[in-house]
Amino acid sequence: MFEPRPSQKEILAYTGGYMGISAVPGSGKTHTLSALTAGIIGSGVLLEDQEVLVVTLVNSAVTNFSRRVELFLKDTGTLPGFQYRVRTLHGLANDIVRERPALCGLSSEFTILDEQETGRVIRQSAAAWLQTHATEMEKYLSPTLSAGSLSKARQQDLPKLVQEMATAFIRTVKDRRLTDEQVAEIGQQARLVGMDALVVCTGIYADYERALNYRNALDFDDLIRNALAALHSDQSLLERLRHRWPYILEDEAQDSSLLQQEILRLLAGEPGNWVRVGDPNQAIYATFTTANPAYLRGFMQMEGVIARDLPESGRSTASIIELANHLVTWTREMHPNLEAREALEIPLIHPVPAEDASSNPDDSRTIIRLLDKKLSPDEELERIVDSLTTWLPQNQQRTVAVLSSLNEHLENLAEKLRARKIPVVELLRSTSSSRLAARRISAWLSFLADPRNSQKMVAAFLAWRNVEEDSSQAVVRACATLLRKCLKTEEYLFPQIVNWLEQQPLASQPEMELLLLDFRTYAVKMLKVSDLPVDELTISLASTLFTEPADLAVGFKLAGILRTSAQLYPAWRLPDMSLEAASFAEGRKFSGFSEDDTGFDPGQHRGKVVLATIHKAKGLEWDRVYLSSLNNYDYPSGAEGDMYKGEKYFLRNQLNLQAEVLHQLQLALDGREDEYFEGLAGMEDRKQYIRERLRVLYVGITRAREELLLSWNSGKRGTSNEAVALTELKDHLVQRDMIPGGSTR
Amino acid sequence: MLPRDPLTADQQAILDLPADARVWVEGSAGSGKTTAAAARVAMLVQQGIPAQQILILLPQRTLAGPYQQVMDSPEFPTGGRPDILTLNGLAQRSLMLFWPLVAKAAGFASPNSPPVFLTMETAQYYMARVAEPLLRKGYFAAIKLAPNRLYSQLLDNLNKSALVGFPHSEIGSRLASAWTGPSSQMRVYEQAQEVISAFRQECLARNLLDFSLQIEIFNKQLQPALLFQQYVQTRYRYIIADNLEEDTPAAHDMLLNWLPAVDGALLLYDTAAGYRRFLGADPEDARKLKDHCQVLNCDPLPSQPAGLRVFTSAFSAALGLPIDEPIGEIPAPPLPESEVLAAIRPISTRFYPQMLETAAKEVARVIENGTPAAEIAILAPYLTDRLRFSLTELLAAKKVNTRVLRPSRTMQQESAIRCLLVLARVAHPGWQMPPLRADFTAMLSTAIKDLDPIRAGILAEIVQPRRDDAALPGDFASIHLSAKERITFTFGELYSELRDWLINYATEPPLQLEYFFSRIFGELLTRPGFGFFGDQEAGKVTANLIESARKFRQAVQGVLASDEIPQEFISAVDQGLISAQYLRSWEAPQEAAVTLAPAYSFLLQNRPAAVQVWLDVGSNAWYERLEQPLTHPFVLSRQWQQGDVWDDAREAQENRQALLRLVQGLARRCTSQILLMHCEVGEQGYDQSGALIRNSAFAYTRVRRAANQPTEASDV
Repeated sequence: MFEPRPSQKEILAYTGGYMGISAVPGSGKTHTLSALTAGIIGSGVLLEDQEVLVVTLVNSAVTNFSRRVELFLKDTGTLPGFQYRVRTLHGLANDIVRERPALCGLSSEFTILDEQETGRVIRQSAAAWLQTHATEMEKYLSPTLSAGSLSKARQQDLPKLVQEMATAFIRTVKDRRLTDEQVAEIGQQARLVGMDALVVCTGIYADYERALNYRNALDFDDLIRNALAALHSDQSLLERLRHRWPYILEDEAQDSSLLQQEILRLLAGEPGNWVRVGDPNQAIYATFTTANPAYLRGFMQMEGVIARDLPESGRSTASIIELANHLVTWTREMHPNLEAREALEIPLIHPVPAEDASSNPDDSRTIIRLLDKKLSPDEELERIVDSLTTWLPQNQQRTVAVLSSLNEHLENLAEKLRARKIPVVELLRSTSSSRLAARRISAWLSFLADPRNSQKMVAAFLAWRNVEEDSSQAVVRACATLLRKCLKTEEYLFPQIVNWLEQQPLASQPEMELLLLDFRTYAVKMLKVSDLPVDELTISLASTLFTEPADLAVGFKLAGILRTSAQLYPAWRLPDMSLEAASFAEGRKFSGFSEDDTGFDPGQHRGKVVLATIHKAKGLEWDRVYLSSLNNYDYPSGAEGDMYKGEKYFLRNQLNLQAEVLHQLQLALDGREDEYFEGLAGMEDRKQYIRERLRVLYVGITRAREELLLSWNSGKRGTSNEAVALTELKDHLVQRDMIPGGSTR
Repeated sequence: MLPRDPLTADQQAILDLPADARVWVEGSAGSGKTTAAAARVAMLVQQGIPAQQILILLPQRTLAGPYQQVMDSPEFPTGGRPDILTLNGLAQRSLMLFWPLVAKAAGFASPNSPPVFLTMETAQYYMARVAEPLLRKGYFAAIKLAPNRLYSQLLDNLNKSALVGFPHSEIGSRLASAWTGPSSQMRVYEQAQEVISAFRQECLARNLLDFSLQIEIFNKQLQPALLFQQYVQTRYRYIIADNLEEDTPAAHDMLLNWLPAVDGALLLYDTAAGYRRFLGADPEDARKLKDHCQVLNCDPLPSQPAGLRVFTSAFSAALGLPIDEPIGEIPAPPLPESEVLAAIRPISTRFYPQMLETAAKEVARVIENGTPAAEIAILAPYLTDRLRFSLTELLAAKKVNTRVLRPSRTMQQESAIRCLLVLARVAHPGWQMPPLRADFTAMLSTAIKDLDPIRAGILAEIVQPRRDDAALPGDFASIHLSAKERITFTFGELYSELRDWLINYATEPPLQLEYFFSRIFGELLTRPGFGFFGDQEAGKVTANLIESARKFRQAVQGVLASDEIPQEFISAVDQGLISAQYLRSWEAPQEAAVTLAPAYSFLLQNRPAAVQVWLDVGSNAWYERLEQPLTHPFVLSRQWQQGDVWDDAREAQENRQALLRLVQGLARRCTSQILLMHCEVGEQGYDQSGALIRNSAFAYTRVRRAANQPTEASDV
């Protein structure tokens, strides 16, 4: 039973109006919002055709939220699922656009391209642009590059950079709601004043938009801007939706962009009922998106907005809370870089009262350790592995994660852990059942595309049995070994003169023979229908390979996706389709089902080491957390000698070209092109980056319940130093006698 | 022939009308109007009226079934048959006859040359020729639409203007004046108008008659012409017009003109109509004919279970809309909820495939309990290939046959067609359109009977010419022995025969595609050992392909050199300009098969079912109109008032009404039970709670409340 704390009760007493809630990590804000949703429904204020609209950040939150609300609503006699709607902002935008597609120049059959797909389109246009307009970008290359570096820059770095730059540009253009004509004009003007990067980006943008139009497709940013355009352009649509959603509750509001906020503001109306919950200190998406915690801050300061805090958190021990709070106060008051001081804000985290049902772990359980020797990245990882090798066997019932900002770092770590036989769960590519299902389908499509390949036949065989290569079933292993040796697969599958199976010495192995016969029958059946349209083929596979309803659902979804691919790329055949299916098996977002849907639960992985980026770890908690790579490259402070990811070695003056192009765009929009001064934008970008990295560090620390292990490395080139913030935390811990004065393990 | 079932009193009344009556019969769907009308046709002929003097006018050819059956029966008098035509069929036939009379006045550049009638496909091809250069110039950048869809919407607009009867030059301004969205759309409408006008000019310059020109000239030039009137009045003395609610204003206008002159007329109108407005169907407009006729009602006793009537009534209350047709008596005192649930029962599952599986199980159970399969209909808002495929498989696994009600399917879905198209490329290396390896392999395995995909793959890898090598496929005899053994000599010989045919063909001057298809079909593919041997279905689809290629050639020979035509046809197929949609011969109701249909097709088919299974009732597709950025069924209809705007309030109102009409219409066609199949998570993984399931839930609440508190009965 949910026993709200006083601060939560204040929120649950909400009856209407605008409310802004600043919630610290672990404060139970999602739980409180679910209870509020149920409370509104239970109060009977909704008409039959009305819903509480709950908006959240990621898909995994949607199902979680629904489940909690259902729990609250149990036994209240309300119709399940009909009086509230939980959506991500993109999901909501999709709902709005689908109400009246023609309002946005769309037909009802429009499709939405995911990031992988849009990435493909941008990559193609960027490559085409580089080929035909090489000179524009050539100018940016550093004149001091060696021949070898120059060639690598042209071959690899530049295309990648142009793609990233164009991606950021396209996002910004859409966030600014510019029309194609405006962008074209900006491009022409940019050519006149010699803003070459801007010329390139406007060109790629035009190609990209044409490709989307041709595909009758939107990207995620289009969804947002179109939804807003629809609400702006038809008052009766807005009124209908306002009637439908008289209450709007928004979770993770610090990650909303201006347009997203505007959509909700319009829907809420004035006066209206809109509750926004967020933690500005956990706003760590501004670099990748157009989100900005300033929007939530501004909202909370607006006149008439009821401002509330959820400052208590029962997640961590008092000392870990104290450390996180110290990062906040130090940043605000003492950070050597004045520009960084607004990165974090109060409220500080308070432990919950001792009598609270979900009270903090006892502080005696706290362990905080620091590894402050200068180590290479590899050495750092070795130390972490050593530490886990000792710790894990004694703590099989507890949860542990290693967090870093770098995927590559985590991949290396995974390898090292596996080498020591330590069980690893990679959160990024956690093999959820939906991915496994996609992998099995992909193995089959790959085999059907190339049935002569015995390796693929073996993979299909294993997928058919739903086992891995190292299956414990000896018969399956033996069959796989035998099949691998069948080089003329037609002699097994479609025997004419030679019958491979009959030639095998299987007289004493009736089980194997039976299995191989069964597999042949199935494989032949599937090969015979392999010219079905790809969606029908996929369903055919799914309905014979899978027994779990959730897996089957994945099969159907995949079938739909492949059908769309077939329409987008008429020249695609089975080999392409199997690669496409494989991309979902390997971690491409696949919303809707199974674990991806319900979110990741660290409690399900006790006795294993979870590896995750800090971004992916948001919202999660572990008993023990390793925070690695805390150096001045990952966490710069603006000090002399700090390096920045956006600033490229192969460009002249190590320009941050992405920042430059966005700055150029801004100047072009303001008609102030003559004020452009190369390099300034990079400086501005540094400030934002420094601030965001401080928040990332804060998020990292607040993932730990009892034990926190901090470490750093000297980076790829061996030139990075301990992050300034880490030095400060170390000094603070020493002062508090939490750690000895010297280096510690 | 008389219908098997005894006629109802209402049906008998239709039959008993004097031959020279002009009658308007209205009634709800399933009331037996068509059966009575078909019987009346037989009766008129039996009474000595020459069959050729009777015209049966229908909105679509697919509705001809019941009339055809009567005429096919042995009791039908010999010596001629009535014409069964759509307005378009009549227009085309008449224009061919009277071309010299209208060609010049209509503005054709070469009135002395014969007209070229365009099909949907060839019209699309010409539209593409007109629009493509403009698209490249940046036209239509403000909307997202694949080019083919764009062309078809522009044509659709033209057709609507002709059917509704406003000048095609007003299409853009009509759409613009009703628009409430962003102003960027105004330019799109201007551009649409520009392309439409250019297309019309192109047609006039080249003697091309697309659907819109056929209708427009028929209406404006031909019908007022005295000569034509004399002809028609002699030709047709009796008119039977069925499903007027689904027909167009142009058809209604024509009937209005003809009514005074004919000897007798029987006009049939479905009251609970207006299910959809494709191609300008206009039920309101049809009503103007009623004033010129004697009116009969044909309404059967409702055979709906009482629970269903109660539900429909509660459903309309939940929607806040009045029921717009009589549904029979609502029982008093109110029925207990259990009885309503017995008539219309929701079944919920978590995932989409689970829902399909459960639906299949339910159907099997219903059959086991004694309901004949033919009395069961599984309905969905749309019938995708995926859905059709998986349900058919699921039901087959339970030994239940299905028949699919779906008007059309593209030719390229047929492997026989794909095989022929690849063969065309292979046989003409000079086109430099070599097929992909995967397609070449598939062609071999379709063309050569029993050739498995593995051996086909080995063979393809060896014999398919390199992409830049404009040559015929290689020789089997000269490949390595080990490969020969893998492929086997049996298949090798068949391949050699195929290759010999190609070599022989290459020695002659190239043929137009229809002749190529027809020769390779007859001379090679239907021989023993080859893929089409004994395959009747392959024969049918080949005939369709041949027809499509022939029509294409006829339509384009004015603009393309004859040696360019075959390649152009293949490219047009590639670009999807020619999807060669064709009407499958309507699968006749089978005794032992469950019907699988889109809900609207089922409605239009006018046959009741004992048990209906509604799939995916959480989906919005049950009531949302398919929106298109370039056209608008309401704004381009006759009912549209100039100066009105189409805003969301209109749209939402229309959707709600559409939902109620659909539920009413389907419930009316159900004699025993409806199952509402719901999945929480839809096919794409998102939750499903559209207005159909929501309002159903609210309807149950109302039923429950009424049963518990009899005083509130009036609420239901």
